[in-house]
Amino acid sequence: MNCAKFEPLIALYVESDLPTSEASVVETHLEGCAECREFAAEMRDSQAALKALRMDFVEEVVFQEVRAEVLNRVSMPRKQAAWPRYAIAAMLLMGLWVAWLRLTRPAASLDVEPRAAVIAPPPVTPTSAPQHRVRSPRVTKHRAFKSEPLLVKIVTDDPQVVIYWLVDQNGG
Amino acid sequence: MQELVLLMEAGGVDARDEELGRLVKQAKAGDMAAFEAILVRYQRQVLLTALRLLNRNLEDAKDAAQQVFLRLHRSLHQLDENRHFASWLYRITVNVCRDMLRARRPALSLEEAGEVAAAAGEDTIQQNEQRRMIYAALATLPERERTAVVLRDLEGLTTSEVARIMGRSEVTVRSQISNARVKIRKFVTRRQRRPQ
Repeated sequence: MNCAKFEPLIALYVESDLPTSEASVVETHLEGCAECREFAAEMRDSQAALKALRMDFVEEVVFQEVRAEVLNRVSMPRKQAAWPRYAIAAMLLMGLWVAWLRLTRPAASLDVEPRAAVIAPPPVTPTSAPQHRVRSPRVTKHRAFKSEPLLVKIVTDDPQVVIYWLVDQNGG
Repeated sequence: MQELVLLMEAGGVDARDEELGRLVKQAKAGDMAAFEAILVRYQRQVLLTALRLLNRNLEDAKDAAQQVFLRLHRSLHQLDENRHFASWLYRITVNVCRDMLRARRPALSLEEAGEVAAAAGEDTIQQNEQRRMIYAALATLPERERTAVVLRDLEGLTTSEVARIMGRSEVTVRSQISNARVKIRKFVTRRQRRPQ
């Protein structure tokens, strides 16, 4: 290995940045090479000068300026962030107002009178395994006037299924 | 932000970190006094690193430090208060300074660096000629070499810490540190041998 190749190693050696094995190789070379010893001495000098910059200081007023600016900018977004909330609140209020207007507006009159639709119940056909076993019809008699039809309520096993049947006085 | 978690996990937990954890917890809850206490604790690290990476330009360094602390504030909710985050701050500082430098101009040439050395600071020439010369030498380095040597030799971090902060392998960073030292030595030697 020639001296030029030792320079990068010496640059690390002077700051003890080399592993022991490489450091011993450098030490052996330095013992027999005056040029590299001079290089190492210069390297130590320049490193000492470099490390002297560790003593640099910055006046407290500079730190205060930095802190003041940071704290000021950190607190600013909170003030700015308030307007979207006001905008959303305003939109909600407007929506509620429109809804209220629609609810309080008089309902439009219907031209067509509502008609009651009577749908005949499906015929009950007993099967071997009925899904809903139909009990014998239980007739509930409401206060029926002569002209009014009877209401027949058919209850199945399923409590969710109740069949209502409107029949006239003749049982039709 | 995954990098942040990795960096935080890499750090140890000591009494100082515990106190920091308490401050971070309070800052997360909106306690501005706690956040300011964090700034006080790390302002020197951030500002001086920025100053060294930004060729001793104090205004740029202040700007960089502000950006770093604003990023810290934005990331507070993601910080694990029980972990050390000095490495994370170094990394953000390095990134902010790198972006600022790239937005402006590359490293100074040797001739330009000489002008910086002559113009920098208000200190007396006799006392601080060497410091200015070193700053001038740092200004000539490529960005990554300068970052590596600043973190290793001025901030006193280990090579592995520098590698973690820079997102490079230890071998690469060691090479960058070595190159930087050789170049600084060369710069200093030339300046010292130059006839006045």
